[in-house]
Amino acid sequence: GRAKRARARHKPCALQQLEVSVSELGLGYESDETVLFRYCSGSCDGALRSYDLSLRSMRSRRRIRREKLRARPCCRPLAYDDDVSFLDAYNHYYTVNELSAKECGCV
Amino acid sequence: AGPSSAPAAEPQVPVDCVRANELCAGEAACSARYRTLRQCLAGRDRNTMLANKECQAALEVLQGSPLSECRCKRGMKKELQCLQIYWSIHLGLAEGEEFYEASPYEPVTSRLSDIFRLASIFSGTDPASASRSNQCLDAAKACNLNDNCKRLRSGYISTCSRELPAAERCSRRKCHKALRQFFDRVPGEFTYRLLFCSCRDAACAERRRQTIVPACSYEDKEKPNCLELRGLCRADHLCRSRLADFHANCPAALRAPGGCPGDNFQACLGSYAGLIGECRALPRAAGPCRRPRCPPATRAGFDVTPNYVDASPGGGVLAPWCSCKGSGNREKECENFLRDFTANPCLRNAIQAFGNGTDGTPSVKSPLLPATAPSPKPERSPVLPDGDSDTLYGTSVITTCTSVQ
Repeated sequence: GRAKRARARHKPCALQQLEVSVSELGLGYESDETVLFRYCSGSCDGALRSYDLSLRSMRSRRRIRREKLRARPCCRPLAYDDDVSFLDAYNHYYTVNELSAKECGCV
Repeated sequence: AGPSSAPAAEPQVPVDCVRANELCAGEAACSARYRTLRQCLAGRDRNTMLANKECQAALEVLQGSPLSECRCKRGMKKELQCLQIYWSIHLGLAEGEEFYEASPYEPVTSRLSDIFRLASIFSGTDPASASRSNQCLDAAKACNLNDNCKRLRSGYISTCSRELPAAERCSRRKCHKALRQFFDRVPGEFTYRLLFCSCRDAACAERRRQTIVPACSYEDKEKPNCLELRGLCRADHLCRSRLADFHANCPAALRAPGGCPGDNFQACLGSYAGLIGECRALPRAAGPCRRPRCPPATRAGFDVTPNYVDASPGGGVLAPWCSCKGSGNREKECENFLRDFTANPCLRNAIQAFGNGTDGTPSVKSPLLPATAPSPKPERSPVLPDGDSDTLYGTSVITTCTSVQ
């Protein structure tokens, strides 16, 4: 149980996929068509760069105070999948681009 | 004749015409006759050609060569070149203007059951969704979950539904080309499911009708006469070949148990799908075209792309975008041409068999059962080989224009 969950949390950043209906995407389209939604998830613990360490140091030394910043890499798409087209409930075709991740990385 | 290239050692499978042409080029006598025949056919009709002794002699010699027996494969590399070679021989061999012509394509030996076996891998229909099953929606899902199918489907949909600011609704030419790529490069277990899904309600049937984006690929401002349409199609090697293939594999008049020759439903569905999209190899110029490139077609949009005429459930009625108005005394001939689509028992049975998941014998309908048996859901869809390597509409189009003078 717990060990498994912990392991799952510490999986390295990678591409995951989910079968979802177009309506579930929340883009305002009404369609029962199912599409493959690929997303990036996982930890980026191993990808700390000197940049992140230095940024943390600057923050702790209060050299940087007000700005919003992120001192650790984030698991995000490096490239997006091709366009996805579908027919909606009113028999119109739509094409959505950059819907799905194609490649993930710690950036 | 050179003994090395003698056709005696050839296997029973017909040689493709590109290969046959190479074999012929290796023999001095054959290549000389073939060159003569091509010159005979350039810009002349069959009767004036056959009146010429030299042309007739060339034709007789070539009848014994591998060229006269050659065939082409749909979607093959150099398909247009192959068809051009085929018709350069067969225009001379044919008995004048026939209503139906022999198909230049190799006979299809695979059966629907092969597709069903594959389709069952992909279907993964769970019992819950089967009860409210919409086969056409399931087909779209199967396509969306396969990278190759999804990419080429999105390709034609975005091309065909892109609105243009000018008077034209869309680029019909580009739309047809994208449709052609979809049907040539995506395996039948995906494309047939989208095209021939069986429907119990109008919403499903409308989705089925919308498969080829008919507003762009099918409908037009005017409905041309079907015989005029057929004439334009026959003036083009690719369109003519696809139409001949359809007539050979989905003959309307055959009185066979299943309605199709050899009960080969797969061949009928395949040649129907072969009519969709860009069915034009080159813009045909009025005279023989000597320049390396012909001028663009003046009459764009004429093709024999068929579709469902409305959103009625059940089998549905199919037709190309044409009518028999203005046929004059050829009205009966026109009606016959149109009936090969609208009232064709072979085509109807093939579509029904596909919808029911049966093969061969005419199906006994079981309307309450889902067409595909529930099977364990696969972890992930197997990715099919990407057929992107062969460019069908490459430079070979231009060779059709370079004349032999």
